[in-house]
Amino acid sequence: MKEKLTRVEFTNLDKVLFPKLKITKAQVIEYYIKIAPRMLGFLAERPLVLTRFPDGIDQEGFYEKDAPQGTPSWVKTVKIYSETAKRDVNYVLCNDLDTLIWLSNLATIETHMPFSKADSREKPDMAFFDVDPEPPATYKEAATVALLLKEKLDNLGLESYVKTSGKKGFHVIIPIVPEHSFRETRTFVHKIGQQLAKEQQLVVSEFTETKKPGKVFVDYLQNSHGRTMVSPYSLRAVPEATVSTPLEWTEVKKGIKPTEFNIFSVVKREKDPWKKILENKQRLKV
Amino acid sequence: MEKASNVPRRPIWTGSLTIGLVNVPVKLYPMIYDRGISFRFLHKTDGQPLKYQKVCTKDEKVVPWQEVARGYEIAKNEYVIFDREELEAVKPESDKRIRLDKFVDYFSVDPIYFDRSYALMPDKSSDAYSLLLTAFEKKGKAGVGRITLRTKEYPALVHAYKGSLVLTTLKYAYDVVDPQGFEELKKLKEPEKAQLDIALKIVTDLSGEFDITAYKDSYKQKVEELIKKKLKGETVVVEKPAEEEVKGLMVALRDTLKQLEKK
Repeated sequence: MKEKLTRVEFTNLDKVLFPKLKITKAQVIEYYIKIAPRMLGFLAERPLVLTRFPDGIDQEGFYEKDAPQGTPSWVKTVKIYSETAKRDVNYVLCNDLDTLIWLSNLATIETHMPFSKADSREKPDMAFFDVDPEPPATYKEAATVALLLKEKLDNLGLESYVKTSGKKGFHVIIPIVPEHSFRETRTFVHKIGQQLAKEQQLVVSEFTETKKPGKVFVDYLQNSHGRTMVSPYSLRAVPEATVSTPLEWTEVKKGIKPTEFNIFSVVKREKDPWKKILENKQRLKV
Repeated sequence: MEKASNVPRRPIWTGSLTIGLVNVPVKLYPMIYDRGISFRFLHKTDGQPLKYQKVCTKDEKVVPWQEVARGYEIAKNEYVIFDREELEAVKPESDKRIRLDKFVDYFSVDPIYFDRSYALMPDKSSDAYSLLLTAFEKKGKAGVGRITLRTKEYPALVHAYKGSLVLTTLKYAYDVVDPQGFEELKKLKEPEKAQLDIALKIVTDLSGEFDITAYKDSYKQKVEELIKKKLKGETVVVEKPAEEEVKGLMVALRDTLKQLEKK
């Protein structure tokens, strides 16, 4: 008998999932296999929301919270009561390589993760800033605002981490000791946004201002129970097959284009800018 | 199955090589075999060999040999019918001669036309055979001519090979496709100099002697292993062959597993 490297039975490997670049499911799975050593730590113990595109990203995909039918017994799941659905939702936890491979074999392009772990759901371990440009503002303006935000957090003695959203924006994270409620992290992030908006013309901090053309919204609202962000190193369901990529702040300073970071280029990066993030839990003064 | 070192015992043809008025009596032996693995179809339920039968497409009944005619399709489902006797009459007669018309440089014959090679052995006297062989070897020449084998006439080349005369039947010109007919070739661009230099360097670096024994039939080897196992009574576990894509994923997977182990 040959050694068995994975419990996953591969199916429809030649299915094209990104038609513009003719990227097949085999290539998507290969990407997730290669990125797994850098990615898995972020996903562990977090109930995931999946975006699946079984017929490719040009066809309608679907969000999936419930573990799908036929989920193998070795895949860990967690039941969480949903207020909106009025029932238990059985979320997938991706704690190991096989689960990640299994998810990609299901044509899961994106995974989205909450800011708290399954065992302490009410206590976030990250404060999250979604830096989101409104056209005609582009990723360039978003990068400017992300750097201003970093400076502000530096001045507060907080070390922050940045990744591309894989679309136009940037995501900035402060890993924190899970000791506050979402209301507290949300208020903290909102306050920082308000200060920035006061100092900078370019920045807006309120949900009501999000549609102002050319502005960059520092979104605090995701810091809530049940809300998520696209996982670090997740592919995005866009024609260019971009990746939500953890960056060094120096890279943002140099000026980068989010589309540079895609299914082909990210695995070749030597950098692992978020390597220390899980150990660098900081305390917020709220 | 014959071993490569064993030569066939019976000639498949005897006759003579004819050059002008000179006759060299020769025997023809097969030289080329397909020694790949072949199987007999058996009935799964009782292990008995299966045979082919000619079945009428209309009533599905088996047709005996006497009732078989030959049809040449001139339009869809429209045939000109021949009896066997009619075709026999126009078949070329095997006149037991290999007629050589002229001599050419052996290497001037494009191997694309080579069909099948046979060993030519002297029959009765070997003097004339030896003379012809030595002349071919010294001149690097080959004789071009015709031979009729069974009922088909072939263009043929007689040449020296490893101290023997060999006859190689050739394809007719109409059997070979001219690749210039492919549209793809009409769009070929001149390569850029820099790229061409790299390509030439690679070709030079990888240049070597041709050695056919370096190539092995891995399918045959694997099947022969399976046969040995089965004869020993071992059960053979059927493993689904990995698709190309799966192989690629396994390479990535091994690498990632190694990295995760280190962590």
